[in-house]
Amino acid sequence: MARIKTGVSPRLNQMLEELLEGIEDGLVPAWIFNDPELFELEQQKIFSRSWVYMAHESEIPQAGDYVLRYVANNPYIVVRGEDGAVRALLDMCRHRGMRVCRAELGNASHFRCPFHGWTYRNDGRLVGVPAEREAFGPGFDKAEWGLRPIPRLEVFDGMIFGNLDPQAPPLEEWLGEIRWYLELVTKRSPAGLEVLGPPQRWVVNTDWKLALETFLSDSYHTLMTHRSLIELGIAPKDAKYAMYGEQIHIPGKGHGSMVVGAPPGAKLPPFWGYPEEMMERSKASYPSREQFETAKETRILLVTLFPNFSFHNPIRKPDHKYQGTVPMLTFRVWHPLGPGRIEIFSWALVEKDAPDWFKEKTRHSYLRFFGSSGTFEQDDTEIWSHVAHNASSSQGRTLRLNYRMGLSLEPDPNWPGPGVAYGLNFTDANMRNFHRRYVEMLLS
Amino acid sequence: MDRTQALLNTLYQEAELLDEGQYRQWLGLLAEDICYRVPVRVTKERGPEGGVSGVMEGMYHLDEDYTSLEMRVARLETGFAWAEDPPSRLRHFVTNVRIGDPQPTPQGEESAVRSNLLVFRSRWDRPDYTLLAAERRDVWRYSPAGWRLARRTVILDSATLPTHNLAFFF
Repeated sequence: MARIKTGVSPRLNQMLEELLEGIEDGLVPAWIFNDPELFELEQQKIFSRSWVYMAHESEIPQAGDYVLRYVANNPYIVVRGEDGAVRALLDMCRHRGMRVCRAELGNASHFRCPFHGWTYRNDGRLVGVPAEREAFGPGFDKAEWGLRPIPRLEVFDGMIFGNLDPQAPPLEEWLGEIRWYLELVTKRSPAGLEVLGPPQRWVVNTDWKLALETFLSDSYHTLMTHRSLIELGIAPKDAKYAMYGEQIHIPGKGHGSMVVGAPPGAKLPPFWGYPEEMMERSKASYPSREQFETAKETRILLVTLFPNFSFHNPIRKPDHKYQGTVPMLTFRVWHPLGPGRIEIFSWALVEKDAPDWFKEKTRHSYLRFFGSSGTFEQDDTEIWSHVAHNASSSQGRTLRLNYRMGLSLEPDPNWPGPGVAYGLNFTDANMRNFHRRYVEMLLS
Repeated sequence: MDRTQALLNTLYQEAELLDEGQYRQWLGLLAEDICYRVPVRVTKERGPEGGVSGVMEGMYHLDEDYTSLEMRVARLETGFAWAEDPPSRLRHFVTNVRIGDPQPTPQGEESAVRSNLLVFRSRWDRPDYTLLAAERRDVWRYSPAGWRLARRTVILDSATLPTHNLAFFF
């Protein structure tokens, strides 16, 4: 059992062994959702070595456009240079450490430090040092003092990811077979996606894994957590609506997806309820026929990437009286701030070539149900915060929580997509797969 | 009582309804064509004109009409809206009220009203609480039944919200 390396306290060592042993049996100890020592280990082993979602290319379409984003506790300026390339530069002056960027978003050809005035081009090169010759002498080489770029940066279909580990595998390898599911959204239109404005940002006293689990795997919570919306006729009358779907995980990667169709007997338009013209365009846009056929039958799609990115793409409408359907798409980063505390970054996105009326309506479908004021999500954050609070109590932390749903399910041999798929969405399979990967990274 | 005094009273009456969770009655103070918005606010450098910084066009925390506000109220009445059940202890402090001169419009006489707002929120049995400060930029419309809220834009003084949801109204 001496699996764990030095540097981890005997206490945490023993706790991780308990987590590892419990997973196959569907038992997860509550302490993993609120523990200061584990938080530090996660920062080091997971968030310093994983591909973390930072921004969408449509947030910075023009040369000089930038947004400020975080990987672990590092602030990065994600900026498009005059050469069109996207970079992520540590927002910390190489001279004496002040931040050089004074806004969350904007457009700048240069970043000038307010401390002593060192000035950098938007590609990170140091180009201006006040009294350079007098102050630093002839041997000073500005080329050695540019803003530090993130060790790795890659873009997949407009999604910008960063990685603090110079040795990390390529993004494509990291994503693996989840690409097929990502593409159901990123390649739905040949024009690609665009953000509808900046992200909403808010803090929740909970753990990033609790938020993530809900989007990764927890179709089971909808019938009780979101019962208010079933009562109002917003969610389908059949409270088990989220059960009628496929749950898919990518072994070894930690990623997962839920692909939910129409509940039996429910008359819902195909293709999430997007306008027909958008469905027509997708035929040529999707890389494979299987993806189009799957998309046609989909009403709710969720994809979660290890470690802390999710998207949610459900059929919806702007309010309970609206006739017709207007689906929505939201991207998420579950950003850990400290033990039992996260910041949520939540964007709404839409296909660039969607009709204008649709872009306006889909913003409403998003705002009224998801995000900081969303009538679904309000209840999620309330519940997540209590679970994390309980997980820090001396008795509560030792409870092993039940992740046994669907333990006896057999994979669905007929599912057209990659990964391990189950034909019943009431299963914790995606969470068990996530936790396997989570422990593996903590221990490696 | 003159109309200005009546409008001030209406603002305080509205705060009382929001504090006490009388949301159906609150809906009665809204015009049916209401536009109720809470824009996302971000950190931005000072602009050449100064003024309020970083109020974003295009993305909001709330962007509501009468129907969607009514939906939110109906949800709170289901008994399953866990975000506010048990309800938060809320207190709306309305200050710095600036009432513009009434202007005739096709919909009736309207007054632009700006007020500062501090919302106190406490939940469960914990001693901690959330404070949210904002300016409200309203348009109130006079009707025979009294003043009705036709437009509200809430300029939050937070970029990243210090609370786990916006399950209440400003």
